[in-house]
Amino acid sequence: MSHAATDHNLVTEEIRRYHHFITLALWLAAITGVEIVLIFLPVSLSIILTVLCVLSAIKFFAVILWFMHLIYDHRLLFWIFIAGMGLAFATFTALLSLFAVDRIDTKWFS
Amino acid sequence: MSQVAESSHAPTSTGIDHKKLIMWLFLASDCMFFGTLISTHLLYRKLYPTGFTDAEGHQRFIQNLFNIELTSFSTFILLMSSFLMALAVSAMHKGQIKSFRRNVLGVIFFGLIFLGCQVYEFTHFLHQGLTIQNSVFGSTFYVLTGTHGTHVAIGILWLILLYFYSFTGKLVGHMGALDVEVAGLYWHFVDIVWIIIFTAVYLVEYLGPTGFWGTGLPLTK
Repeated sequence: MSHAATDHNLVTEEIRRYHHFITLALWLAAITGVEIVLIFLPVSLSIILTVLCVLSAIKFFAVILWFMHLIYDHRLLFWIFIAGMGLAFATFTALLSLFAVDRIDTKWFS
Repeated sequence: MSQVAESSHAPTSTGIDHKKLIMWLFLASDCMFFGTLISTHLLYRKLYPTGFTDAEGHQRFIQNLFNIELTSFSTFILLMSSFLMALAVSAMHKGQIKSFRRNVLGVIFFGLIFLGCQVYEFTHFLHQGLTIQNSVFGSTFYVLTGTHGTHVAIGILWLILLYFYSFTGKLVGHMGALDVEVAGLYWHFVDIVWIIIFTAVYLVEYLGPTGFWGTGLPLTK
């Protein structure tokens, strides 16, 4: 493939991404709006919490996949980031499990 | 006339530019850093669900301290700054330096608005009597959001330097686009961390008639 053809492909690819970015930005704004409305709805707490977690996860992955180019980049980068995130989530789960009680004896901290 | 950034670069054993690889490794480690900060905040929020006592000795409730409108606005601003950053990176890949400068100025402006909102929020909380020392909530909240704010400030400084560097004529070609892309990765990371903080720290406080932790006064909103 000639150099000019490669340049043309790169520009075409960037223009395609440009439209993806605009669509994604609109979706992110809309999801944030939905989250704010959700917290004031008289619905079961567990349902709202689940929906909030799912919406946050959607926003999170949308940004890392498209804005951070993980969907277009080398697969290794994706796994590096997932490893860090997995360790963070494991720490979170471990801490919550360790202290999964309603009350702790605070005399140990005084 | 715009000049498309060349796609060729020095070969590496992984096939990935070293700068980009190192940035992703840093972001993975930063993920663990923020993971522990968020975990600590939520854990202590669970263990010490009551509010705090202000300087006059009055018991205050966290749920009525937050201003959800302000936080939603700053969240929206940060999301839009991420969008502009993506456009700035895209412009650099197409070799459109003027478009890059325009977008990066927008990112800097939005970042400064976000920081302004955070400074306002901290000042408001201090006036309400919440300090880093008088409650567990104050300690974990200020450390978590303060660390995030510091990341935003570093990002703004980095982008300002890139903006002025672009006038030297050295921010060109593949390496120039890569430099901008690496800065963009950092900025997007700051954004995704805020997405989690917004839900885990702010929104959950509004769930249920007396807040998620069940210890607040009934919300008036």
